[in-house]
Amino acid sequence: MKKKSAGSVAIMLLVMIYLLIPLVISIIYSVFHKWTGVVPEGFTLHNYVDLFTDSNFLASVGRSIGMCIIPIIVTIIIVLLALFVTAIYFPKLEKYVQIICMIPYTIQGVILSVSILSLYVGSSSILSNRLVMLMGAYCIVILPYIYQGIRNGMRAVNMPTLIEAAEMLGASKIYAFFRVVVPNILSAIIVSSLLAVGIIFGDYVLIRNLAGTSAPNMQIFLYQTMKSDSTKASAVFVVIMFVTFVITAIVLFVKSREAKGKTHRK
Amino acid sequence: MKKKTYIYLLALVPFLIVAMLYEIVPLITVIVKSFQPDGGTGFTLENYQSVFSKLLYQKAIINSIKISLTSAVAGIIIAFLGARAAHQHQGKLNHVFMTVLNMVSNFAGIPLAFAYMILLGNAGLVVNIGKELGISALSTYNLYTMNGMSLIYIYFQIPLSTLLLIPAFDGVQKQWKEACTLLGGTQGTFWRKVGIPVLMPSILGTFSVLFANALAAYATIYALMMDNIALLPVQIAGCFTGEVKIRAGLGGALSVVMMAIMVIMILITNGLSRRFQKGGNRK
Amino acid sequence: MSYIRFENIVKSFGSNTVLKDINLEVEKGQLVTLLGPSGCGKSTLLRCLAGLETVTSGKVYLDNKDITDVNPKDRDIGMVFQQYSLFPNMDVAQNVAFGLKMKKVPNAEIDKRVKEMVDIVGLSDHLHHYPSELSGGQQQRAALARAMVTNPKVLLLDEPLSAIDALLRHSLQVEIRRIQQELNMTAIFVTHDQDEAMVMSDVIHLMYNGKIEQSAAPTEMYTEPVSKFAATFIGHYNMVPVDAFKKMTGIDGEGTDVAFRPEVVEISTKPVERDGCVTIKGQVVVSLPHGNVLRYAVMCGDHQVDVDVLFKKATIIPNNTDVYLTLKKDDCIFL
Repeated sequence: MKKKSAGSVAIMLLVMIYLLIPLVISIIYSVFHKWTGVVPEGFTLHNYVDLFTDSNFLASVGRSIGMCIIPIIVTIIIVLLALFVTAIYFPKLEKYVQIICMIPYTIQGVILSVSILSLYVGSSSILSNRLVMLMGAYCIVILPYIYQGIRNGMRAVNMPTLIEAAEMLGASKIYAFFRVVVPNILSAIIVSSLLAVGIIFGDYVLIRNLAGTSAPNMQIFLYQTMKSDSTKASAVFVVIMFVTFVITAIVLFVKSREAKGKTHRK
Repeated sequence: MKKKTYIYLLALVPFLIVAMLYEIVPLITVIVKSFQPDGGTGFTLENYQSVFSKLLYQKAIINSIKISLTSAVAGIIIAFLGARAAHQHQGKLNHVFMTVLNMVSNFAGIPLAFAYMILLGNAGLVVNIGKELGISALSTYNLYTMNGMSLIYIYFQIPLSTLLLIPAFDGVQKQWKEACTLLGGTQGTFWRKVGIPVLMPSILGTFSVLFANALAAYATIYALMMDNIALLPVQIAGCFTGEVKIRAGLGGALSVVMMAIMVIMILITNGLSRRFQKGGNRK
Repeated sequence: MSYIRFENIVKSFGSNTVLKDINLEVEKGQLVTLLGPSGCGKSTLLRCLAGLETVTSGKVYLDNKDITDVNPKDRDIGMVFQQYSLFPNMDVAQNVAFGLKMKKVPNAEIDKRVKEMVDIVGLSDHLHHYPSELSGGQQQRAALARAMVTNPKVLLLDEPLSAIDALLRHSLQVEIRRIQQELNMTAIFVTHDQDEAMVMSDVIHLMYNGKIEQSAAPTEMYTEPVSKFAATFIGHYNMVPVDAFKKMTGIDGEGTDVAFRPEVVEISTKPVERDGCVTIKGQVVVSLPHGNVLRYAVMCGDHQVDVDVLFKKATIIPNNTDVYLTLKKDDCIFL
């Protein structure tokens, strides 16, 4: 029995080492002056100092954050509304909503971006605005995650019964949905929004194909920097990974708190 | 009463507008354009003819399928071992393992390309070490080839596949293992005769996710190779964003081919997985 | 006219008709039970009264008003659900106050009425606990308080105790009955548990396959089942086909089966002659204790008859003994 467990430990350690090596190396790389031999030389933080005084970088951070906000809010609202009416009034339509929400899983970035681009690039309306295209594309890319998060949340709180209970107490369906159901699936909404933030934050394909270099986010900034200055790029890399990890950590935290609440309930 | 509820259909309108504008109409347009000559109207198959006759695109299709298959197989094997290890070992390490997997699951795209460039690029760390220590296997490693990049593909498959398989292992009950032991089976027999067959639907499902994931991977590859590699997503993007002129018909045809490959893979894995799902009702 | 009246209620889901022309009346202040196996339509009937299902045809009257097309929120009906349907983001006090807020009752009065009601259901110590901090029984008490605090015209209970373990269920049955009588509330209780129905109800409506099979007070329901289904669903009946029964006893009657309860049969190793009784010869197959009762399985010809006697060790008759069963003619029901 001991032997088996040792094997499991070894496998987990090996996998973790494989996964962590590129990260660790890049982090070390970012705090040294030069690393051309076996050992890095000259500890320095000036890559970071440079970076945080570079207005282009700061602007790209701002854009990365800003670009998350509109698509996530829009997607949450449209999905909440759609799932509300389909769950309560038109259960037969629910599967069509589901199909629409799951298609982006299979088409993913490249095809989605080029389809949107080729459709609207020649148009003279607001739809041809590159940022509008980008926001629209982000809404679609995060759709599966937001949809699944909200739907799972609704299932977990047993939405039909909650709404019926509120109705029997004199509340309308709409009141019941927004004042009783939504507060109870808030953590599900938060988790899926954070996943969406992670996706938009990590996006390079859509922004490159749709917005070009006109509005670089952090990924584009990293791409441009790594072509010219790899030590500075390594600092950008570390900042990006740090932000990504913070988002993941919050997701894990909210999920584990949720799970604890559930076991408590039983 | 009936009439009144139709007013609520209005709540579906915003959802439908967004889905129409940015998902359904664009996709349909790309498919339609793939059957039209560039810049013209009417029906033609010439875009598909060039996709299947030009060497570059043939290679792109073959390379894409090859790398997606191999990286998905490698990812599944590692994920199976990793998830089984996490299933068999109960302790603090599991928590660390899960955290690492979750953390690196978002490690993709440009940052991943960058990290591998530092590590295995032309002037990368491993290559330098290889030179100093005289290990030619390391010093001559060429990241900028299909084989060279397969390590990256496998890298981003591992967290995804392991995280997908771990919950499936929760369905493998301890009592089955105990029953198998009492009936005289070894650990090996258990996994061969019970464990893997039970997990097969999850394994196949994960496999098709991995395949799609690799097939569509773009940012990492583009960061390393720009447009100079015969892979479907790179060639598709090139048709629409290239400096020369936009070839929407050709790009559309390539997109349709890529989507077709993905759908075929989903159909195959679904079909296989149905054969493993005995009793029908299980999810 | 009755307080609640269902008139020719039909409810179909597609081609599946789950309520087939139901007519049913409930008097004010009574607790009536809709009893039946799962799928018999009892919950659907309750939900039609609540307005959570629309009826396909028929009328529902409450307090002399036709409420068939009234919105559930305007029906003034309280309901307790099977799954704990408390709002998880609100504590007990907020949950109970919800209905009063919807009615725009002034805050001071809300506080007062919430406290009173929570006191009645015995949750005063848990006023500010969240549902996740309560046991199943406490959650159902809170749900009961929430349903009753608005003083609804009728209280509906849809299998409220089926998710609660047996021991607690019995005390809650008694308690719900006490509160209902104390507040003189009209209540309809849905259950598939015949013991629960027996303990709690003024009237039981036994439902089967979308129809009311029998409506009766609990004791009558137990002693005078009107059909084979009623006899088998409520308690345990010996069921012997009329022909076979005639062979055993010489008694003939109308119907297909004869039903008699195991506890009305006397068992003896010697024949007993008594007025108004019949005697059947048989052989003990096996005897098994059921709580304080010993149940003999006795083979009489081709048919097995169960006989219950109070469990006293000294009197156990061994297996394969020839016995005589004595049975009052009045206790035999022809169905």
